[in-house]
Amino acid sequence: MRGWRAVRFLVEKEFRQVFRDKAMLRMLFFMPIIQLFLFGYAVQTDIKYIRLATLDYDRTPDSRRLIESFYAGGYFVPAEPVFTPTDIELTIVEGKADVAIWIPKGYTESLIRNEPAQVGVVVDGQNSSIAGRARGYAEAIIRREAFRRMDELRSQYPQLDAQSRRVESIARFYYNPELESRFYMIPGIVVLIILVISGMMTGMAVVREKEIGTLEQLLVTPLTGVQIILGKTIPFVILSFVELTFAATIATLYFKLPFEGSVWLLALTSFVFLLVTLGTGLLASTVSSTQQQAMFTVWFILVFGIIMSGFFYPVENMPRSVRMLTYLNPLRYFIAIVRGIFLKGVAFPDIIHNLIPMFLIGVSVFLFAVLRFRKRVS
Amino acid sequence: MRRLFAVAHKELRHIWRDPRSLFVAIMMPLAMVVIYGYAIDMDLRSLRIGLLDLDRTTASDALVREAVSSGYIVIAEHLTNRSEVETGFRRDRFRAALLIPQGYGESLERGPAAQVQFLIDGADGTTAATVDNYLNAVVARLNQRLNAALLGVERFPIEPQTRVWFNLQMLSANFVAPGLVAIVMMMVCALLTSIAIARERETGTMEQILTTPIHAAQVIAGKILPYLGIGAIDAAIIIAVGRFVFDVPMNGSWWALSGYSGLYILVALALGLLVSTIAKTQQLAMMIALVATLLPTLMLSGFIFPIASMPVVLQWISRILPATYFLRIIRGVMLNGKLWYPLEGGIILLMLMAIITLAVVRFRGKAE
Repeated sequence: MRGWRAVRFLVEKEFRQVFRDKAMLRMLFFMPIIQLFLFGYAVQTDIKYIRLATLDYDRTPDSRRLIESFYAGGYFVPAEPVFTPTDIELTIVEGKADVAIWIPKGYTESLIRNEPAQVGVVVDGQNSSIAGRARGYAEAIIRREAFRRMDELRSQYPQLDAQSRRVESIARFYYNPELESRFYMIPGIVVLIILVISGMMTGMAVVREKEIGTLEQLLVTPLTGVQIILGKTIPFVILSFVELTFAATIATLYFKLPFEGSVWLLALTSFVFLLVTLGTGLLASTVSSTQQQAMFTVWFILVFGIIMSGFFYPVENMPRSVRMLTYLNPLRYFIAIVRGIFLKGVAFPDIIHNLIPMFLIGVSVFLFAVLRFRKRVS
Repeated sequence: MRRLFAVAHKELRHIWRDPRSLFVAIMMPLAMVVIYGYAIDMDLRSLRIGLLDLDRTTASDALVREAVSSGYIVIAEHLTNRSEVETGFRRDRFRAALLIPQGYGESLERGPAAQVQFLIDGADGTTAATVDNYLNAVVARLNQRLNAALLGVERFPIEPQTRVWFNLQMLSANFVAPGLVAIVMMMVCALLTSIAIARERETGTMEQILTTPIHAAQVIAGKILPYLGIGAIDAAIIIAVGRFVFDVPMNGSWWALSGYSGLYILVALALGLLVSTIAKTQQLAMMIALVATLLPTLMLSGFIFPIASMPVVLQWISRILPATYFLRIIRGVMLNGKLWYPLEGGIILLMLMAIITLAVVRFRGKAE
């Protein structure tokens, strides 16, 4: 029992240190808000307005109908008018349009003769993520126009129409029918917030004592290594849970994110994840002598952890060798779990394949950190 | 001048004494370019679907064959009833299910239309839209095959001839490498400087320096100089790796590129300085640098997410970010080969002057 009292005092000391610095306290609550808003609003990977330049050399009702069908969908807005092929080049080079279409003379004539009519599409490829989608939209619109043309052809030959066959498709989107990117991003942000608080702050807090010399003072007290570790990590466990609750509340109340799963499952899995982050923070502190070093070490691990977690880009888009590496990345599992809890209402059996590897990694990192820390202390 | 170099020399020793931080500062950008170049592909290469074929006729087989023949679509699982679809989604086994209802073959035989359903995991909205596109393309190809011969049209009546300019293979590296220069320089320069100065304050050595006859401006310049070097090395590494490993085109002038990069590094350093005048501890400096410089740069500069589709308020914020202008310049220089950016360059210069003035005023205010 006396052991626990000592730990309690340490925790209290740590909290006082955090709360004494008002700027730090403000930051702790400001940071999740800024992150949530930035990611919630900025990350609209679906493009709303693609500026389209059009050059119509055919000037027939058919060609005009094709151009109108571009604007009708709502994705394309008119860019500055162009009059020659050189204009198209210039307008793309200068970034005044994202896509240009060019309907050559003879477009309608080819259609009448049942020869494929050609339409030139130029896409500004500077930003590949937009370019790919802009190209997809443009080609889909042309494809739709082609279908309309085929329907017209069919109606011209009623005897053929009876023989024509068609497959129709209906798409149904589960969990996020509007396909809002923020639904996917925000659970990831919640994870990042816990990550920074527990991983980076723990490492820096321990090294800070080293740097200003107070760690030595702690070490001459009768506290054991394990007590010091608990005293240093428990405050960040509590802080992480406070931030988690705070961020999840904003996510559901303000951003209207669904929360389909169980709060307890989120708490349990977060606790397992904290083993990883606290362990990493502690481990970084044992190999660092300045806060800058500790921060950079954690930072380095963090940046790669995030890139290879599926946070921005789906893991299955990565080459096989890199994908194998992501199995060692605890973030990969936790982000999938948190997204599942928020959006899909996953239950324990659904996440077991993610939870077990995360648990194993967490326990080994944390144990290794504790062992190293104790060795350093004694 | 000599005093300035003395401070710079001292700072350089601090950096040198801590080779790991230096290693991270230099290696991080390199590793990031490699990862972005190799590991990140915004296109979906393979789409795992669950197949729920309730029809099991030659017609449904033909549809499945059409799907698989694209090379993009892989059948991950054969399902037997609809409830397995959601279980699969919850366990992330596949991203979509193709549901061919019973009677599909019969309807197709009888005409005019048969229906299929795409059940798509919409959690990741962006990918879901792509998945929808892929599946629609499959059905479009099948329809074309079913009808083209009938109508005497061998090909589609209208054919798009798409060309993507500047970036013919649409390699992600082309667009990521220039962007990374902007991000990494902000990260290294702003973060490192703010922490270096906060450290002097936290450990009490800043007071010692300020009691010496050195002028505040000399202290600032001396502290910044070594980081200017690191920032420049980082930029050079990213550009070189992008250019020679990933074949990012360099259509513009190296001089223009270095000039604008130098200007941008100065802005990043000045921002770090400004942060350090606010933060008393290194922890706080790190948090502020993260939230005030790095995150907005990453999110709002147009690096990954297009500015045009952001809400208006965020578009305003993006307009006061130096990275927004620098990004436009560096992509323009490298990919378009344009040489001269008077407007963007001018805005960055103005920003630089404003930030430096603010930082120096605050710094001196604190010093006194």
